[in-house]
Amino acid sequence: MMKFANVIGVSFMAVLLVLLPLLLPAVGLNISLGTTVILFALAASSVNVLLGFTGLMAFGNAAFFGVGAYGSALFIADVNANLILGLIVGTVCSTLAAAIIAPFLIRRRGIYFSLLTIAFGQVFYFIAYRWSNVTGGEDGFSISKPPIFGGSSPTLNGSSYYYFCLAIFAVLLFVLWRIMRSPFGLTLQGIAQNEARVRYLGINSDRFIFVALLLSGFVAGLGGALYSVSIAFSYPLLMDWHQSGDFVMMVILGGVGTIWGPVIGAAIYAIAQNVLSSFTPAWQIIIGGMFIFFVLVFPKGLLGLGAARRRREEEASQDPDVAVVPAGLIEGRQP
Amino acid sequence: MFLPKRGAAADLIVIGASEEITGVYAEPARNEIRGMQLAVDQINKAGGVLSRQVKLVIEDNANNPGTAVEKARKLIQVDKINALIGTVNSANSQATSNVCLEATIPFVDTGGHTDSVTGQQCHWTSFRTCHSTWMETHATGYSIANKLGKKWYYLAPDYAFGHSLLDGYKDIEKKLGVTVVGEDLAPLGTTDFSAYLTKVLNAKPDVLIIMQQGQDLINCLKQANSLGLLKRIAVAGPQGEIENFWSLPKEARVGYWGFEWYYKSALVTGKNKAAADFIKTYTDLYKQPPTARSVFGYVTAQQLAAAITKAKSTDAVKVSQALSGEHFQGLWQGDAYYRDVDHQLIWPMWFGQVRGDGAGGDEWNIFEVVDSQPGDKVEKPADDQKAVCKLNYPA
Amino acid sequence: MIEHLAPEIVNGIVLGAFYAIIAIGLSLIMNLTGTINLAHGSFMTLAGYLAFTLMSRGSNFWFALAASAICTAIIGLVVERLLISPLYKRVPLYSLLLTFGLSLVFEEVFRLIWGPSTVPFSAPPELSGATQIGDVFLPTYRLFIMVALVVVMVALLVFLYRTRLGLRLRGAVQDAEMLAALGTNTQLLYMTNFGLGILLAAIAGVLAAGLLGLGPTMGNDLLMPAFITVVIGGMGSLAGSIVGGLLVGLAISITTLYLPAASEVIMYVLMAVVLLIRPRGLFGEEGIFG
Repeated sequence: MMKFANVIGVSFMAVLLVLLPLLLPAVGLNISLGTTVILFALAASSVNVLLGFTGLMAFGNAAFFGVGAYGSALFIADVNANLILGLIVGTVCSTLAAAIIAPFLIRRRGIYFSLLTIAFGQVFYFIAYRWSNVTGGEDGFSISKPPIFGGSSPTLNGSSYYYFCLAIFAVLLFVLWRIMRSPFGLTLQGIAQNEARVRYLGINSDRFIFVALLLSGFVAGLGGALYSVSIAFSYPLLMDWHQSGDFVMMVILGGVGTIWGPVIGAAIYAIAQNVLSSFTPAWQIIIGGMFIFFVLVFPKGLLGLGAARRRREEEASQDPDVAVVPAGLIEGRQP
Repeated sequence: MFLPKRGAAADLIVIGASEEITGVYAEPARNEIRGMQLAVDQINKAGGVLSRQVKLVIEDNANNPGTAVEKARKLIQVDKINALIGTVNSANSQATSNVCLEATIPFVDTGGHTDSVTGQQCHWTSFRTCHSTWMETHATGYSIANKLGKKWYYLAPDYAFGHSLLDGYKDIEKKLGVTVVGEDLAPLGTTDFSAYLTKVLNAKPDVLIIMQQGQDLINCLKQANSLGLLKRIAVAGPQGEIENFWSLPKEARVGYWGFEWYYKSALVTGKNKAAADFIKTYTDLYKQPPTARSVFGYVTAQQLAAAITKAKSTDAVKVSQALSGEHFQGLWQGDAYYRDVDHQLIWPMWFGQVRGDGAGGDEWNIFEVVDSQPGDKVEKPADDQKAVCKLNYPA
Repeated sequence: MIEHLAPEIVNGIVLGAFYAIIAIGLSLIMNLTGTINLAHGSFMTLAGYLAFTLMSRGSNFWFALAASAICTAIIGLVVERLLISPLYKRVPLYSLLLTFGLSLVFEEVFRLIWGPSTVPFSAPPELSGATQIGDVFLPTYRLFIMVALVVVMVALLVFLYRTRLGLRLRGAVQDAEMLAALGTNTQLLYMTNFGLGILLAAIAGVLAAGLLGLGPTMGNDLLMPAFITVVIGGMGSLAGSIVGGLLVGLAISITTLYLPAASEVIMYVLMAVVLLIRPRGLFGEEGIFG
């Protein structure tokens, strides 16, 4: 059962997102920035599946995002100019990519997991960079906006593409929320809080982490596939580890382990970067400073502040509308 | 959805500039912006365009194609620009070019050299001011064979830009009867070049042709110097950006390079009054002489304004048609034109030597131009381009 | 192509020594406090720039090397106290993110102070030139780097294994709480340790500036191979960092010779292979890091 406060919160976010194409131009921003926010939020949510729910410090999700972007863009450019099919192909590719590297990752925890995700992410990055006959190398390659069902069906532009992405995003967010309340999701959260105990219960946590990686790859890839269509371009920097770091930061900004945190984080990050860089070339200092400030002062992110209080209230009702921030994630061992 | 009337807001002509203000190309980008700014100021002082003032809106594309697309859309939708200019990084050039086609806004690529912008992915809305890679290799190819010898060794960065430079040299090497004794592709961002340089030393070519750019070129030359290679073998390359050479230590400022423009040479500027004025005003204003990048920015803004004046309109089709094929006097000897077939600016390319110390009491003056090649001799023939590039103006 | 192998091996060793020294600094910091320092490259760049500034004010190379390394280490200590020490009680992700943010700030500050392009830093004249042995060209500067790095490593080993402070540092890695209970000021140890790591980075940074273009991202370009070196060698092992560095250096320069296109990916492949066979790296110890 959803609590009243959350009904208000969710409705507020929903109304805000629906009205965004009207609000953005009013404050001097463009609609496609709204699309970018939503697609970055998808990528950040994919990080959140690993980081927030399973307690795994994933630092390579830009690779899934990029594989999705290249998969759909290549399909649309070379095989069939059909948006829906392109998205399916891109997402299948990214999920496959996750399946390929997952066996290397599922037994690793902590720093090793982070470093391995960075490293595998870089492998994908270099493949995109090197394989220039197919990917266009550093120059990237451009596509034309595909009709939604191919052939002579309509092409989505500007605000119609925004609403298309929003619809997909809403469905996915709802699905993620359901998953996190399912036995599977609760097991993932159990792994984050106390993996040893989960194992004592006879549960093979590696398998759960395998599925979490696939889920993460799927969500990130869908975001990437939609993004390459949005900008009608695909390029290797999408997979660079700096991009992964940005996605992680969005999660931290918004709130680790919360459903809406990545959305809020992505919005703050993308809008801040876009607006600041129009005013000052030193915007990187402000973004970097924001990272430092949040890590030191708000480690649980904006939503995390409220979530901790609410969780205490809801402990009995077993109703994690805002999923539990794994205790072990913030308070680590004394070094 | 309503369509805003572009630029009409305050009776201004609005030109957007998308540049790599942050990131590795920050310095060339800054010089392009300076050139644009100077041109726009002069145009406004002279009464503007179509008796409207010109406003330049500059955005940082952060050297990232995704951001470049975002910023191009912002300029088009929010600032209601009439035309877009700029870009240094080739990926940004192509991505921006595509956005402008979609929104039917004229785009002039100031400094992204990749062939595709005026080749396979050319658009009726897109133009390019700087030379294409083809022009750079062909212009320097003639001069290198002429001045330095015909036994060559290629060292190219392993990505699209390097590959197209290499293709260019391979095309010209046949015409010149050159022997190639070695060829290496080094990944972009290589920090250690000694492996390649040792191979070069053992192959003993007349000339080592280095196609690296920016940081890679600096690393390569620094290490070639410490290996003693620079004293044994001549080095040359398609594109010598003076911004790079200013940041090299003196002992590594060597070799023969293709120059896209230079401020202190009779071979480049000749008796061109406009060029002399430009150099003086620019140097007084920014306390630093203009570079080829400044010229890209200046000429681009100036010619765009001229085209709008000639078209008597900001309509994209009319402006594009006015810009294309129109001969003009640039900031160099001889004329120039954005050719009809692919919208590439056809203008001369120069060749010369780099020296350690500034000559004539001017610490900036480290180039010496020794040769020049006319633009139409070194660019791909127009007839060949027709097969590659289809402009498809709207009916 | 076999005749090119000898020079490649020499190159690989020099490159490997470089990665090793950076990796040792990273490893020291990671080991004691679990901090993944993504700003390590920025400290290298900072040291290079400081040395450049000193030299352009007329100082000689040697003084600039020493002074800039010490200044950088002091800045490192301040950063550790103000920003990093509050995170010691948290999981490594937070220090990872904080240092990531810090490296963004540093990069932009470099750009504002020293300009966006590289600055003309040159190695001292007494170190220029090259010796030729058969087909092998050995630039004096590279030989110097190799000697300098060996000296630094030996000094570090002497410090860690022959001094009381070194002993305490090694003890703290094993069990910091026990050490604290015995009356050692562990915060001071953490600080010293971080400063030491940064000092190594700073020395490597100045040396690198003579070889590479000194621009705002110089150090960051060397950071990723150094991380890979740590993982291959095994976290927490100095010997591992040295062996790992040499392996990475040799692998890169030999692939450069035979298959240049793969020279960037090779270290990642090497890492994957090593981790499949030895999950904690070549010399890593069981249980130190989750």
